[in-house]
Amino acid sequence: MEAFLQALAAGLLIGAVYGLMCVGLGLIFGVMRVINFAHGDFMMLGMYTAFYLFTAAGVQAMFGNTVGPFISILLAGPVLAVFGYFVHRTLISHVSGTRIASLEGEGHYAQLILTLGIALILQNGGLIVFGSVLASIRTPLSSSAWELVPFFDISIFLNKARSIDAIVSLAIMILLSLLITRTRIGKSLRAAADNPTAATYMGIDVDRAHRTAFALGCGITAIAGGLLATNYPFHPFVGLEYVIVMYAGVVLGGMGSIIGAFWGGMTIGLVQQMSTLILPTQLQNAAIFAVFLLIIFFRPQGFFGRMVERT
Amino acid sequence: MLRIEGLSAGYSAKPVLNDVSINVGAGQFVAIVGPNGAGKTTLFKTISGIVKPSGGAITFDGVDLLAVPPPQRAHLGIAHVPEGRQVFPSLTVMENLEMGAITESGRRDWQANIERIFEWLPVLKERRGQFAGTMSGGQQQMLAIGRGLASSPKLLMLDEPSMGLAPSTADFIFERLIEIRRQSGLTMLLVEQRVAEALESADHGYVLEAGHVVLEGNNATLRADDRVRKAYLGM
Repeated sequence: MEAFLQALAAGLLIGAVYGLMCVGLGLIFGVMRVINFAHGDFMMLGMYTAFYLFTAAGVQAMFGNTVGPFISILLAGPVLAVFGYFVHRTLISHVSGTRIASLEGEGHYAQLILTLGIALILQNGGLIVFGSVLASIRTPLSSSAWELVPFFDISIFLNKARSIDAIVSLAIMILLSLLITRTRIGKSLRAAADNPTAATYMGIDVDRAHRTAFALGCGITAIAGGLLATNYPFHPFVGLEYVIVMYAGVVLGGMGSIIGAFWGGMTIGLVQQMSTLILPTQLQNAAIFAVFLLIIFFRPQGFFGRMVERT
Repeated sequence: MLRIEGLSAGYSAKPVLNDVSINVGAGQFVAIVGPNGAGKTTLFKTISGIVKPSGGAITFDGVDLLAVPPPQRAHLGIAHVPEGRQVFPSLTVMENLEMGAITESGRRDWQANIERIFEWLPVLKERRGQFAGTMSGGQQQMLAIGRGLASSPKLLMLDEPSMGLAPSTADFIFERLIEIRRQSGLTMLLVEQRVAEALESADHGYVLEAGHVVLEGNNATLRADDRVRKAYLGM
């Protein structure tokens, strides 16, 4: 019982961060229908950005070891959003949005090659610039825990850093869903996703909506990456490890559903941690995909996806 | 208000429109009729900028429309109610209307517009919280019209509002359009395959066949024309 609750708690905490990570990708896919293979590497850049902001840009000196890392992580979001904005403007916009009409396969082949190319450049460029030594954003909170006593004889431990990571993830997720559902920008992003041509008729600049989504998606995943980095060391190829999880989360949530991607990521976090109860740790990722296949078998459209749509 | 001169357009090498000239005066209700594949929808897409013309000119309110980027055209006062409705399925009725009102004039007049739209198309008021994708075809068509009206347009372009609808629903849509026109005096440009209804509602008409304007005139002349009577009105 204690072990079960402990794994459940750990799963919820890591799941919230995975959820945020998936939402970044889900936003880009949902609005643009572009499969971004470089997304894991944007996350890697977010991790290093947070790392260098903390160690080299004076955040550590100014805010100390406890609060400093989280401030650097939050700052990495806007930095990567600006980076994503320019990557979209200079590269992605040539093979997506309103230009796809003139491309073969609606631009999907070109998008595939382009984002894979960006991924390779970021991975190997990262290796040259950052080196291959493992880095991590350490905070004293990473190695201490709160003890929770839900019943008399049971106590579970919540890692402080992971708990704060989960709270930050949830807060950002709430802000994002408010943005998507309540604001004019959010609604026009959804309109552009639903029907780009009709959105143009309304006076929505679809290419600009895509740029906004891409920038937001990069920024959000960068923050999720930074949060993960408080507990997991990283290296320039770390994106490869997470990009699969991101896609699994987006598919589980339902392709195109932005909020669904969060629950997809949450599910993966839970399965990963709960599987350690019955399986050896090495099989964590295998367990994720076994459950993934099972869910997709029974619900191919994902949790929040729609099977059919009237038009 | 809208002046199209010698317009030619098409998809890659295949021309669809050939030297088409059409004039819509302020306050007019103009119908463009013709069979399937005559180029009616392409004409609308060219006006909205989705299709690039290969020749000719379009001016709207004295502005050279072809020099205006497509998403900016709605802001000039052109509302396009597209073929097949094309509402935003995952947005609610209210959110769809808000998207129509994304233009400056639409935002300014939002309150007054929404009241009038709900009065003209009460079903939208009843269903304002419903996702547009779950509505029937006729309801979606009314939403598409409401969404166009929400932008406070100077020109409302309607692409086959009767498409895929039961005859009684189509009749109701036409009746609503005539009522909206009567009350608002809005300039309208209608493209239709249901020639009889279209010519009845409009005060001026063009017949488009295989990318050419073959006939034009006011509704009385067109309805009296032998070719129109034989080919389209079944008389």
